Parts: sequence; structure tokens; C-alpha cells
Amino acid sequence: MIRTENLTKVYQMGDAEVYALHDVNLDIQDGEFIAIIGPSGSGKSTLLNLIGCLDKPTSGAVFIDGINTGKLNENGLAEIRRRKIGFIFQQFNLVHTLNALENVALPMFFAGVKRETRLKRAEELLAKVGLGDRIYHKPSEMSGGQQQRVAIARALSNDPEVVIGDEPTGNVDTETGNTIMGLLEGLNKEGRTIIVVTHDAEIAARAGRTKRMRDGKVLD
Amino acid sequence: MRDAFSLTYRNIKERKARAALTILGIMVGIGAVVALISIGFGMEESITGELVEMADVIMVTPMRMELGSIGAFGSFTGRDLEAVDRIAGVKDAVAMRGKMEEVEYKGGKFMVQVIGTDPKDVGALFGAMVKPEEGRYLKANDHKTCTIGYSIANDYFDDEIGVNDRITINGSKFRVVGVLEKQGGFRSETDSAIYVTARDSMSILNNEDISTIFVRVRNIADAEEIATEIEERIDDNHKLDDFTSAMTMGSAIEQMESIFGIVQVVLIAIASISLIVAAMGIMNTILMSVMERTHEIGVMKAIGAKNRNILFLFLLEAGVVSAIGGVCGCIVGVIGAHAISFGIQTLFDVEIAAIVKPEVLLGGVAVAMLVGIISGLYPARKASKMSPVEAVRYE
Repeated sequence: MIRTENLTKVYQMGDAEVYALHDVNLDIQDGEFIAIIGPSGSGKSTLLNLIGCLDKPTSGAVFIDGINTGKLNENGLAEIRRRKIGFIFQQFNLVHTLNALENVALPMFFAGVKRETRLKRAEELLAKVGLGDRIYHKPSEMSGGQQQRVAIARALSNDPEVVIGDEPTGNVDTETGNTIMGLLEGLNKEGRTIIVVTHDAEIAARAGRTKRMRDGKVLD
Repeated sequence: MRDAFSLTYRNIKERKARAALTILGIMVGIGAVVALISIGFGMEESITGELVEMADVIMVTPMRMELGSIGAFGSFTGRDLEAVDRIAGVKDAVAMRGKMEEVEYKGGKFMVQVIGTDPKDVGALFGAMVKPEEGRYLKANDHKTCTIGYSIANDYFDDEIGVNDRITINGSKFRVVGVLEKQGGFRSETDSAIYVTARDSMSILNNEDISTIFVRVRNIADAEEIATEIEERIDDNHKLDDFTSAMTMGSAIEQMESIFGIVQVVLIAIASISLIVAAMGIMNTILMSVMERTHEIGVMKAIGAKNRNILFLFLLEAGVVSAIGGVCGCIVGVIGAHAISFGIQTLFDVEIAAIVKPEVLLGGVAVAMLVGIISGLYPARKASKMSPVEAVRYE
């Protein structure tokens, strides 16, 4: 379970303090599919980065399975990202020098999984997202939708409980967007918690629960 | 590990030109150091090697001789030679009566060092080292004959001088009975000297002055002691202090070694400057690599890379680049050392082998890697400390 408690993130812009997040309290149950929707600048990506342990809050706390992530050092946060969270980005963010198989195996490399094991698992994951025939392709040789599917496979490589998507359909056409949402729904059915940030109401409508954000606050 | 290497390999491959330039920098630095060390060993070996053959020889000259100083003053007399010969432990004592004389052959005239020696003694002292290429040595009862050095026979005069040719020394005709083998190197003086018997030197050339006495001792262990005694006896004869210098070849070797040690340290220090420049090159390359890959570092952190994973990847890159540079440097260094050796041989006619020791090569690669990893440390730490969220956002 993920819980935020008066989560606040303040950026210093010259003399002015800008509240990217202001006292956000949010509970996300295990196995939930939640969409966070809001205009750009509403703080949804900041919220996602804090939940994903990429960033530390100015005040307040994020609890993941009861652990206060604010109390962890950098390595502790890396550990959580590695074991519990899979990240999907709007820009796919694959390592362009590596092929699909190696990209998917990379988080397992950092986790210290044996080479044979991780290559086998990476191959299975790529087959699962429908790219079994493209495992040796470099990102530059794949379409946006294919790259995002590689990114989804990569997010799953350490078998995380939570998959976080920051505008995962933002850079692909509608049809590909549907495929990707379909994959995320499938992951949700497997029991994984899915948290997706989007500004597309149609995409958000496919989630089990939707939260709106504006000016750093969760509205409803 | 294999994947870390493969990742590093691809990153290097992606920036081939830059990596190549960095490798070149390391290569030049390590190559220079390896070449100079190898040539240094060669020099030391060639000089001390020749001296070791004469380890039981003491060279007595009428001056405080230090290596590198030029010129002598005064000379010894027959009485000094007898005094030296009487010292216990002295096996042979040979006088050299050397003087520059005008030598003429078929119209060509040169000033040449003419050395008068006792043939029997010279054979005892140098027979094993300096052999006649043509003809024979001087004999005790030879009269108006000479043996000549290799350069005198072949280089000085327009026509080559052979056995039984006649040359004019200071107005007197001498018959050549032998041409000595080419010596070169430390004994190259021999190549441009003419040898006559002590008797001819004194009677015909009016040269009584002994310029050098060579002493061969029975037991090398006593050499230093005997050298001191020689100095005391001759100084007594001339009623002078510090007139005589008796140098054992052992101390000559030590002096040579200390000089070569200093020369080598200076040369290596100069070569090391290029290594420092190369180190900055590596640091620059890895810094650029870190900057270019900021976004990628962020992504790696987001998918679970710890700081030390990132640190390791960049250190590995620095290490691999510098190790390649080190290996190339060793190859270039070995080639360079042989080239220098060849150059010295061609230009100065001195044989200095390039002595390549495996430990020098291993050391070269190790130093390259050390330099690489130390220079990579700062950029790698910088990369590992990046905030993942800021790095991911960086485009």
C-alpha cells in the first residue's frame, strides 16, 4: 500500500517559493489502477516522482508498504525503486546503445541477477509485450509504440508490485496508446498496482479510480 | 561483469574519435616512458657490460679523474711504473705512452694518438678483448712497426691502410703489422689510435712520458686497497698530494650507474609530463561522457541503479580506455626503443640495445590504468551523485 501524508514539495525560484505539491494526502491500495489527471504544472509528475522514490519531499512523507521513504538514504531509495517499482516514461527513455533484450535485462543487471537468468526473463517479458521477434533491435530501429512496449517490459523485469507511468501514452498515436493501456490493464489484472499520470481524460477513464490535480493539490 | 564491459564497449564505440584521441594521449605518455626506460637499461648494460670484462683492472692516471672531466696534467715516469709493479697483489702493470703525433699516409696528414706499449704486457691485459682483424700484434723485438685501430685503417685516409703498408709517424717510416678489430662504444678510442712498441715510442718518437698505467690485480677483492696504495706510492715519488688517480673499474661502474640513474630519472620525469597531460585528457573525456549521458544516468537510477553501479560503470570506462592506451603505449614504446637504438647505432656508431623487461611493460599498463582510474574518479563520482529526477529531466 502507498500512502502520502501532507506531502509537500517546494521549489526555490529566485526569491519566490513555488509549491509544486501542497499537503497532498493520498492512499493507494494494493492492486489498484489509479489515474492522476490534471493540466501541466499541476504537480502530477512531482507527485509521481516522490511516490517513485526519484525525489525527496520538502515536508510530509511517502509510505510504501509502511516504510517512510523520507528516512531512507540514496541507496535505500535505489533499493525500493529496484525491488518494488517499475517506471514507464513518456519519452520511453531506453538506453540507445543497447538492444531491446539488453534494455529489459538492465534493471536485473543492477539487481545482480545472473546473466543467463536475466536474459531468459528479458526474452519472456518481450514476448509478453508482443516483441518476441524484435529482441535484438536497437531503440532507433523501433517505432515509438514498440519502444514503449520495451519500456513496459523493462519496468517489469524485477517483478515490481507497483508500475508507475508518467504520460505513458503521451508520445504515441491513439491506437498504440490503446495497446499500451491494454498492457497496463493486463498487469493490473495480475495484481500489480498501476499509477498513471495523464492529461487525456479518455485514457484516465480506463483506470479504476481517477484523481484530479490542480496547483499542487489533489482536488477530489 | 560481462554486460558492464559490453555497455562500456558500446559507449566507447559510440564516440570512437574521442576515445581514440584519449587513447592516443595515454599511448604517447606510456610509450615515451617505456622507450626511455628500455633504452636506459640498454645504455647501462652496454657500458657496464664492457667495464665488467675489465673488473680486475685499475686505471691509473696523473690527475684526479672524474668521469666527464677532460684533460690530464703531468705524466708518470718509468720509476712510477716499477713502483706499481712491485706492489703485492699486482699481476700486470702496463704503461701507455700516449701522445698526439703527425701521421702521414699517401699525402694525407692527420694528428693521431700514438700509444707506446710493451707488447707482452698489453697482450696480458687486453689480449682477450682487442684482437687483430688482420695481421698480428706487436712483438717485443719489433722495430719500426705498428698496429693500427680500425678507423685509422679504414676511415682517416683516402686509401685504406692494410698490413705491410708503410705510414710515416713524426717523420719516421713504420710498417703496419696488424689492423685491430673494430671496438666502438666505450673502447672506441682504440679504433682511432696507433700502437707502437714502448722502445720505439721512447727512441724514435722521443716520448718517455707515461700517460696511463693499467694495472691488473690478482684478486678483485683487493682492488680498492691496491688502488689506494698505487696513489700513495706515485704521489711519494713525485712529492705531490692527490697527483695520482687510480680508479678501479668497480668504482667506474658505480659512477656510471649513478650518472645513468640520474639521466634516466630526468628523462622519465620529462616523459611523465605527457602522462599528466594524458590524465587530464581522460578526465575530460569521462566528464564529457558523463555530461552527455546525464539523462541516461537518470534513467539507470530510476530503474534501480545504485550510486556505486554508476560509479563503477564510469570508472570501468576510464579504466578500459586507459588500459587500451597503456597496451598501445607499450607496443609503441618497444618499437620506439628499438628505433632509438637503431638511430644511435647509425648516427654515433655506438651499440645500445633496447632492453625490454616484462615488468616494465606490465608496469606501463598498470600505471596507465591507475592514471585512468584516478582521473576517472572525479567525473564518475559526479555521475553517481546525480539526482535521478534532475538527470532524467535533462535533455
